[in-house]
Amino acid sequence: MKIKINELSAMSYRLGALNMRFIRMLVLVVLVALAGCSAIPTPEVREDVSSETSTEDGAAADVIRIGAAVSETGKYSREGRDTRQGYGTWLEWVNNEYGGIDVAGKRYQVELVMYDDEGDPDTVARLVEQLISEDRVDFLLGPYSSSLTQSASAISEKYDKIMVEGNGASESLFERGFRNLFAVLTPAGNYTQSALKMLAEQGAQSVVIAYEDTAFPTSVAEGAQRWAKAYGLEVLGVETYPRDVADVSGIMAKFKEVEPDIFVGGGHFNDAILFIRAAKELDFNPKAMVITVGPSNPKLVQEVGADAEYVIGPTQWEASMSYEDEYFGTAAEYAARYEAQWSEPPTYQAAESTATALALHLAIEAAGALDTNSVRNALRELDVVTFYGPINFDETGKNASKPMGAIQVQDGEILVVAPGHAAVSELRYPAPDWKDR
Amino acid sequence: MARVRGRLAQLGQGWGGLGLWWLLLAALALYPYTGVTHLTLFLGSQVFVLVTLASNWNLIGGMTGYVDFGHAVFFGIGAYVMGILVTKSPLLVSPEWGFLQALPVSGAAAAIFALLIGLPTLRLKGPYFSIAMLGTFVAMREIVRVLRPLTGGGVGLNLPPVLNRLGDYYLMLVLMGLVVSIMWWIRRSEFGQSLIAIREDEIGAEMRGINTTLHKILAFMIAAFFTGVVGGFWAWQNTFIDPDVVFIETRTVEMVMMSMLGGLGTVWGPPLGAVVIYVLQTVVWGRLFGIHLLALGILMVLLVLFLPEGILGTSGRGGGTSIVRLWGRIRKRSDP
Amino acid sequence: MDQVLQALVNGLLLGGFYAVMVLGFSVIWGVMGIINLAHGEYLMIGAYLGWGLFRYFGMDPFAALLLILPLMFLFGYVLQYVLINRIVERPHLMSLLITFGISIALANLFKILFTSDPRNVSVTYNGSVELLGITFPIVKSIIFGAALLCMLGLHLFLQRSRMGKSIRAAAQNRTAARIVGMDINRTYAVTAGICIAITAAAGAMLSPTQAIFPFMGPPLTLKAYTITALGGLGRIPGALMGGVVLGVTETMVSRFVPGIGTNLGVAISFVILVLILILRPQGLLGGLRPVDPEAE
Repeated sequence: MKIKINELSAMSYRLGALNMRFIRMLVLVVLVALAGCSAIPTPEVREDVSSETSTEDGAAADVIRIGAAVSETGKYSREGRDTRQGYGTWLEWVNNEYGGIDVAGKRYQVELVMYDDEGDPDTVARLVEQLISEDRVDFLLGPYSSSLTQSASAISEKYDKIMVEGNGASESLFERGFRNLFAVLTPAGNYTQSALKMLAEQGAQSVVIAYEDTAFPTSVAEGAQRWAKAYGLEVLGVETYPRDVADVSGIMAKFKEVEPDIFVGGGHFNDAILFIRAAKELDFNPKAMVITVGPSNPKLVQEVGADAEYVIGPTQWEASMSYEDEYFGTAAEYAARYEAQWSEPPTYQAAESTATALALHLAIEAAGALDTNSVRNALRELDVVTFYGPINFDETGKNASKPMGAIQVQDGEILVVAPGHAAVSELRYPAPDWKDR
Repeated sequence: MARVRGRLAQLGQGWGGLGLWWLLLAALALYPYTGVTHLTLFLGSQVFVLVTLASNWNLIGGMTGYVDFGHAVFFGIGAYVMGILVTKSPLLVSPEWGFLQALPVSGAAAAIFALLIGLPTLRLKGPYFSIAMLGTFVAMREIVRVLRPLTGGGVGLNLPPVLNRLGDYYLMLVLMGLVVSIMWWIRRSEFGQSLIAIREDEIGAEMRGINTTLHKILAFMIAAFFTGVVGGFWAWQNTFIDPDVVFIETRTVEMVMMSMLGGLGTVWGPPLGAVVIYVLQTVVWGRLFGIHLLALGILMVLLVLFLPEGILGTSGRGGGTSIVRLWGRIRKRSDP
Repeated sequence: MDQVLQALVNGLLLGGFYAVMVLGFSVIWGVMGIINLAHGEYLMIGAYLGWGLFRYFGMDPFAALLLILPLMFLFGYVLQYVLINRIVERPHLMSLLITFGISIALANLFKILFTSDPRNVSVTYNGSVELLGITFPIVKSIIFGAALLCMLGLHLFLQRSRMGKSIRAAAQNRTAARIVGMDINRTYAVTAGICIAITAAAGAMLSPTQAIFPFMGPPLTLKAYTITALGGLGRIPGALMGGVVLGVTETMVSRFVPGIGTNLGVAISFVILVLILILRPQGLLGGLRPVDPEAE
């Protein structure tokens, strides 16, 4: 293991003596290249020339091209499919029923160019480049997941293209000062607001929080601590766990000791199952369990059966909510339309994707033009209520006006219990102990 | 035929091979003047990244024979050093150029880590080293997650979004040209001969007076340095890093596969393998339901069974490259 | 004190599972000198089998073991005969690369077949029993019992049966075994069949306690290596000891480190792995033998 100095110098001598010629040549080449660089102008890269092509091509003039890279394969294949189908619902409607986007009195058909990003940041970057520089799309819709939206939005920002997204809730997306990124969904920090407010009103005193150590759940948990303080709940413990965790019983055992009224768990669908399983296994009995993402999905009840009872979950959107607009009608009518087209009920990812496309559509109509500047201004001023809820972007591009709903699993059904005007059922609180169920 | 093959092999080892390589680089440097889109430049820089990574892995995995199943750890360290420097350090001149300052630091950090982890692990023979590196890789991903104040934890870091595809293209072109030229040089030098000697028979090499530890560490540090630089570059051009996009097993798998396909221990094999796999991935199987990694896995099994020396490998018996010998074997078998 | 005792019990239960999970890895290494990087994927296949039988045939995962064991024995036998036997006597590099390739191919095949959505097996008898002030999770206790049974079975097989004896002979000296007329290829195939069957059974036992997804394998492979390094090669008591040490360590860390305990608990086995490899590559108790046939 010893490295002797003289050996080092001997080797460096050998290295040098062996191929002085190589080094000299390398230096020469680099010098020539450097000299060349200073003398030769930088090459011209062909920029977007969509205006030229569309005037040349008569048919293309009446078409708005919108591009999106959304996972069809890879780790987000399921959510990606919901996103694609959500965009597709809007596309079908705008072209066939609505008659095309109305830009200053002229009707434009929409062409949607979608590619599979495979859930990979390199691929999403390549495809967004391709959409902008080869397919010459006018606008972009977002991919699925916060992390892919991070990669994609940097590119759209660079080329000054509008990107409207509905599937990246992480707040760090909007701390980068981008001018062209807009998101219709409620930011992650507000996820637990209505649930915590409601529980505080019911007399809950204390809360514990466990969250997955990735962008979106972290925003959820930071928000939950903020709201807990605002509603006078004492935070008794905060724990993190890594992605794809196998077992959360260490966390649940710790929480059992402090006997909190509310348990808040932030993560992805599967974590909801782990939390419920571990709570039952360890006989941990909070009066309410608030878990993000899982409970609003009917699959949770299928998976854990009666153990899902009393679980509360925030939701971006449910078909039973009382929002409506003049385009898709009520939320329930939207759900029926979606189901007719895709033979499955819409998840909230699907609904927010349709709302994403609709927001872009409305902004283009309001602007009455297709250039980035006018549409950006129109998006900033947009203030509408849709089947998905109110849309009103703040200066960073977040949709701050939309409240988050809360559902509770009651007798195997997913029922909206908050906010008040959208609720269809009363909250059941407190939940009985596991032994008494 | 045999003589032509011999000439070809000689050309690859000799100055001719390097000359051809530099000609190719010059052609690639002039290519943007023919009028290209940003997409083409971006694709180009992605291929250069893969070629650079494969060549680096080959230095430790192919020439020295220490199969590194965790080499992406250096990529990750480079990426995180870049991310931390450009977001947290006040020393950089400007967002546009600060990244060039941080790039060598990324590489240096990776090389220092290689020294620290290599001193103990490179003593381990064969599979122990491979598994130690795999463990290091996974452990590092978790450690980065835990060091939240510095690395942003699982939330990751946002880099300033200054994209310059043309600059990226030339930067990676230069880096790739440099790395492959260095590999060519190493392969011919006494240093490279010693590495090969270590691969073939480490105890024998030791007895012939080669300081094997010094050689292995140096090779490991060189490979780590450039992998770290590429990692720093990647972080910059992706503008966002978190533990899951940076410490991803796929990257190591690709490095191993590209080197194996092209030929372990050869100079021109890994670049060739990188290009072949990139083309296969984006053109052929990329369009088939995301089977990229399935295809890579199966290809790896088939390579081990039928073509362990890769396309350009010549280390076996008989003359010519191994793919020619494989063809000969198949022909012999089909007409007995 | 109660909390410590409780964490100790949880760690023990986890350790029992780790022990049965590591057996196949350790025996294949001991007998053939192959470090099987696809080990975690065999667990993953077992877990998917357990899930499929539960989901579509309503079969209890522990009852399903009776079906999974013979099925995966066949799979292991064929895999060994067709692929691995061809490279057993080549340099270790080749066996590492081929099992690495198999692991990537299997994980991605399952991703294409079942998507990367996590799957779950929710058995109705999930819950806990309280005994002497300590909570025993029912499912994990059953796993512990099943793990002990598996280990006992393998032990008896290796010690008493004729095949078990020839496996041990092949492990001790391949050349001598061949000279006395043993069919090494068949012995290896049987060994691989048994090891992969037990591994898949461990995967099926795991299915009611955690999510099943295609990429769950590699961390389990690394854990298997860590446990082997802790407990020694091919010895059943060693596997039990290594498993319990790791299980208790993980549970203690995730239970008593505040805030990031669970993250650290996940990281800890990889850190142990690297430390052992660096400080004592021959294993904590020694006896990890070199796997390079040339070095024998």
